[in-house]
Amino acid sequence: MAVAEKPKQQGDLSRREFLRTLVGGGWETSVLEQLDDDPEKVLAAYEGQIETLSRDTTNARVGREELDSLERMRRDLLRALAKPREQRHWVMVIDLRKCVGCHACTIACVAENKLPPGVVYRPVLEEEIGTYPHVTRRFIPRPCMQCENPPCVPVCPVKATYANKDGVVVVDYNQCIGCRYCITACPYGARTFDFGGTYTEGTPEAKGLILGEGTADDYERAANFEYGKAHERTEKGKSPIGNVRKCHFCLHRIAVGMLPACVTTCIGRATMFGDANDTESLVSEMIAKPNVMRLKEDLGTEPRVFYLT
Amino acid sequence: MLKKLMYGLGGLALLVGLWGMYDRLAYGHENADYGSYVVWGLWVAMYLFFAGIAAGGFMLASFDYLFNIRLFKGTGKIALWGALVSLGCGLLSIWLDLGHMERIWKVFLQGNPSSVMWQMVWSYTIFGGIILASLLLAILQPDSRWLKILMIMGLPVSLFVSGAVGALLGVQVARPFWHIGLFPVQFPFFSLASGAAMLLAAIGLFGDPHDARRPQQLWVLAVITVILQFLKLYFLWADFSQSIYGNMPINVDAVNEVLFGQYWWSFWILQLLIGSLIPIVVLVQPRLAKRNHLAGWMGVLTLVGFAVARANIVFPALSVPELEGLTTAFTGPHLDFDYFPSAMEWAVTTGIVGLAVLGFLVGADRLVLFASKTEVTQ
Repeated sequence: MAVAEKPKQQGDLSRREFLRTLVGGGWETSVLEQLDDDPEKVLAAYEGQIETLSRDTTNARVGREELDSLERMRRDLLRALAKPREQRHWVMVIDLRKCVGCHACTIACVAENKLPPGVVYRPVLEEEIGTYPHVTRRFIPRPCMQCENPPCVPVCPVKATYANKDGVVVVDYNQCIGCRYCITACPYGARTFDFGGTYTEGTPEAKGLILGEGTADDYERAANFEYGKAHERTEKGKSPIGNVRKCHFCLHRIAVGMLPACVTTCIGRATMFGDANDTESLVSEMIAKPNVMRLKEDLGTEPRVFYLT
Repeated sequence: MLKKLMYGLGGLALLVGLWGMYDRLAYGHENADYGSYVVWGLWVAMYLFFAGIAAGGFMLASFDYLFNIRLFKGTGKIALWGALVSLGCGLLSIWLDLGHMERIWKVFLQGNPSSVMWQMVWSYTIFGGIILASLLLAILQPDSRWLKILMIMGLPVSLFVSGAVGALLGVQVARPFWHIGLFPVQFPFFSLASGAAMLLAAIGLFGDPHDARRPQQLWVLAVITVILQFLKLYFLWADFSQSIYGNMPINVDAVNEVLFGQYWWSFWILQLLIGSLIPIVVLVQPRLAKRNHLAGWMGVLTLVGFAVARANIVFPALSVPELEGLTTAFTGPHLDFDYFPSAMEWAVTTGIVGLAVLGFLVGADRLVLFASKTEVTQ
């Protein structure tokens, strides 16, 4: 039966169109024209298309074979996206026994969000236990905890940082005045300030070669897609330069049915992501285990990042 | 002679400041040493310092215009002018610290009233207006009853703004070194002490040498300064001893950073010896405290000590990693727990201090802020 097509609204963009324009390099004109300044509206614009992607997402097994956790999480994600936003409860689970300390998640995050020097969303903390030579090491990836009771939110003097409908703590770059009060309020050190530097700053020029600051920093100045909006770094002092920045669970990827960059890049499948309000999801299964803990639980921040120990 | 020297030094400082200001405006925060871990640096400390003088200056002005204390008759204008100049310099310092200076209007029109910072911005705006109006009335219509009304309104606002500085830090559960319930109570006392020291310096160094009441004024201000110095030392002892006995690592580390860290000298030499002990020893002796210049310089030393004390409140709490391993987890510019202000930061602060000195002197000279004999006898 033919389904009547909904009239296209301002800001609506099919996933195919989105990808085509992105790959085609014409996103500056075609996508940006449809983007709104409000990151919430921008992300919501993509989600209308998720229904077509979310068919057949309940099978945790293919025949007798268990699904790879990435594929299972992708299905969990699509299932969650089909629900109203208020009913989703995004959580991240990090299995510390599987983390090998490769820092691939850190680098994936830097690449995905085009983070400049000095800005980091997901460092991996290394802890040495014991005395040499009888030592063991532990690796603790530390994204933003996306607290349910975030201490960084009430201190903001201009409401530039807030928990969105999905419960993810976001920063509105065009609202942030750069006072950095939220950084001091975060008990996890999960926020960093964009000082405006580039990795290629001061690189010597070499005529005729793709070398030197003038050419190489083009890549660094190109836009990222945080919060579904193109943020270029072409002008000194223009946001996100001068802003506080943080992990946002890759909301711009989630909106189009993709897992956060740190999850897909994890070589040990140590990082898991999904909807805790879905009993079928992998993350629900994981956080029900007895060996689960959260950082600084005594502060009452209720982090949405769980660690398996 | 001293005034000429101060004008010269103030001008020189302003020139240095112009270079710093150029760097700040042209390159943003890139050349600052504060970063994403020690996020608040010298400018925030100086803001706290200047704001304290502003609130304290206003409190001291109330001796003249609200409580009509005979001894302090005629000191109100210079106290208000000192408060206004300090407030301006404090707000300039914190404005330059913002990542987006041009968005300051958002705090007024799109603000978050539950944020202590929002409350402070609004209360400083109101406070600045009250100081300015009081000063204008004190100069143009000293007999106006509105002056007293403004003082009645301004006194609680001055208590609020100084207490709010304590709350700005105190509400942060993530920083146990700051998370002290008594912080908002302590800061108004610090402000009053700053105001007394400022007035001591102003009257001692630039007051009317023929005013017969001056020795007594200096003595009373010296007593106030010494009492508040002792109170401040007691608060310091209480805060540090409780932190150490409590033995919470993040707290103990911050205290150790102040006492024995690489900038130990700033605490022991600048804050305690030069900023507290020497002024106390001199000012408790009536014979010395009544000497104009000596008393004035003790006021200056006390202010230096308070400026360092502000830095020793702000920096150490931020110098201790929130999580073990954060120091080495990811390296890069501005990702450091060790902070010492950069040349650009020093230059900007030097310029602001120069501006404060010049502003104070120009006002004292042009606006005739020190009372004439007829004014006092009225």
